[in-house]
Amino acid sequence: MIEVRGLQKSYGDLVAVDRVSFSAGTGTIFGLLGPNGAGKSTTISCLSGLLKPTAGSITVGGFDMTTDAVKAKASLGIVPQELAIYEDLSARDNLTFWGAAYGLKGDGLKTRVEHVLNRIGLTDRAGDLPKEYSGGMKRRLNFGCGLVHEPGVLLLDEPTVGVDPQSREHLFDLVREEKAKGTCVLYTTHYMEEAEKLCDDLAIIDHGRIIASGTLKELQAEFGGNDIIQLSGSFDPPSVEKAVANLNGEVLSLGTDVLMMAMKDGARNLPAVLQQISATGANIHDTRLAEPNLESLFLKLTGKELRA
Amino acid sequence: MRFIFVTVVKELKRRFNDPGGLISAIMIPFAVGFLMASVMGGNGGGAIKATLLVTDLDDSFISQGILSALGQDQVAEMILLEKVSQDEGDRRINKGEGSGHLLIPEGFGEAWLEREEVALQLTVNPSQNISPRLIREMLESLLDLGDYLHKVFGTELKIISQSLDSDGLVGISTADFSSNITDKVTGISGLVFPPVMEVEDVTPQPEGRSINMALLMFPGILVMAAFFAANGQSTNFWTEKENGTLGRWVASPNAFSSFWIAQWFTAMFLTVLVAGPIMLMGFIYFDISYQKFFTSLAWLALTGPVLFALLSLIQVLAPSRKAGGMISTLIMFPLLMAGGSFFPTETMPGFISAIAEYTPNGRVLEPLKGYLVGEHGSSGMFSSLWIIMLATLLLILLTGRLSARKVLT
Repeated sequence: MIEVRGLQKSYGDLVAVDRVSFSAGTGTIFGLLGPNGAGKSTTISCLSGLLKPTAGSITVGGFDMTTDAVKAKASLGIVPQELAIYEDLSARDNLTFWGAAYGLKGDGLKTRVEHVLNRIGLTDRAGDLPKEYSGGMKRRLNFGCGLVHEPGVLLLDEPTVGVDPQSREHLFDLVREEKAKGTCVLYTTHYMEEAEKLCDDLAIIDHGRIIASGTLKELQAEFGGNDIIQLSGSFDPPSVEKAVANLNGEVLSLGTDVLMMAMKDGARNLPAVLQQISATGANIHDTRLAEPNLESLFLKLTGKELRA
Repeated sequence: MRFIFVTVVKELKRRFNDPGGLISAIMIPFAVGFLMASVMGGNGGGAIKATLLVTDLDDSFISQGILSALGQDQVAEMILLEKVSQDEGDRRINKGEGSGHLLIPEGFGEAWLEREEVALQLTVNPSQNISPRLIREMLESLLDLGDYLHKVFGTELKIISQSLDSDGLVGISTADFSSNITDKVTGISGLVFPPVMEVEDVTPQPEGRSINMALLMFPGILVMAAFFAANGQSTNFWTEKENGTLGRWVASPNAFSSFWIAQWFTAMFLTVLVAGPIMLMGFIYFDISYQKFFTSLAWLALTGPVLFALLSLIQVLAPSRKAGGMISTLIMFPLLMAGGSFFPTETMPGFISAIAEYTPNGRVLEPLKGYLVGEHGSSGMFSSLWIIMLATLLLILLTGRLSARKVLT
């Protein structure tokens, strides 16, 4: 349903998206994961026709975004990162307008609007103006505007930013429902747990380039079965670096207050690690042992934390 | 086309959801017009009338003749004479009371009869525009007339002046005096009494109503209302951009040009919504034929959005909403002023009223004014419709093109 090949977007010398390629099929949730400024929103903007790519091709629903833009756009539903609703129009009027923008009309439009209002939990407040809504309600309406015309492809650009936990779970349910209906969902986020919860396939993007892609299991396999050891406290990085050199582990992150390592048989080797580190005069406050996750993978790949 | 209609309905719903904005758009031009009419001495239904304070220090046959001429029927309809002492005249004109103070100096009549250099002293009220000009023109005409009288009947006038205190004419018999006058009148009769021939003005004039200042200002108020409607709508580009809805629009399968066409149509409806009530009040107040109402409203709805097109272009060229607002104000208020929206072009100096013809609001206003005051019929007004509509279309297309570049980067 989505096929992106060699997508590039440059602003003068600045390359915001650099030869990005990926594809996502029907009934799947494809996660585009990366820190702020990595190029996720630029990729989404190119996909939705808001930005003209400098190079590369985009196919949506089988239609080329450059040569068959109207048909490609008609199969797209967009939920932008920033709210894109009319605050001075009721929720019902917002949905009706955006439904009409995609060619719905008459009873079909009315039925669809009521259905979406019900799905996003705004039926009781459908006649109120969004300026009277909470942030979460506005987010849900923003979401509803993107799916009112039942698109085959749904682009969700960080849809949960600034959303309360309850509304977030509601939005997750909506995304899963869309997937179950056969919609192809492209989901960008910088929240690891969201990507882990929702996405079937993932691509990690940084500095405009995809640095890793695959299913969650495939990406976890990048660690080759290593565990993640994370220590918090106060450290002298040069001394610690020397101390762990003999431990047969890979330092992912080392600072004056944190040490993160990837290591085989983490549970068995943990006492040795603690002994070596303590010998450097470090003061360890907290110890964590975990299976590798996207956050540690991102750290391994980029040398920096995702939320940094 | 259907989506354009849907968009216009959406835009109007948004405006109705903000009744305060809509009401203020109606009330502001109405209030401004009312204030302007009041400041300029417009008294609603009455014609312009200047108050001339007169101090006659000469009190001669000639000075009384001048005052008498200024008090004649037709002149008296425009100038209200009030005899005052010199001190009172000075005091009142300094306080802004009256349109002018005319001082006829002592010895004026005698000097005039002797053709010696002599002057009437006129002090005008600087806060008024039309009335002092009216007084000046009247006095200048009167003095020209006096000059001709002097040339022809100078001797006779002198005799009359010298004979005022006597029982009869001094130095000449009544018969000779009459004979002299008859000879002179006969001599100039070919010039002053030409063969009976006159131009008859057959332009149909509305009965029982005279053109007055408030009526001249009325079309300006309507154009001002159209301006307020246009100004509000022109900032919608920024509102949609900031709301993110413009992005949604671009991402939808609809052509971007349809956005601007819908904005144009919305501007037409808003013009009707904002200017309609003001127009209705004006028609009732000025007792204008209701047959002209819908034609006038249609004219304003079709041509008023040229202001929207111009303002939208300014907004799209501006780097931000704030800058757009400032540039719009800097450009549009002088345009409104020069185009006759604040003051009727009839009250402006010639060089400014000449500019009015070339301003977009002037192009909308002048034909409407001519139609409302009965200078021409609706065909006279609509003859320039296509030029304004074409200009609007071109501006909209240009705006659409520039805004697409701004949105699709």
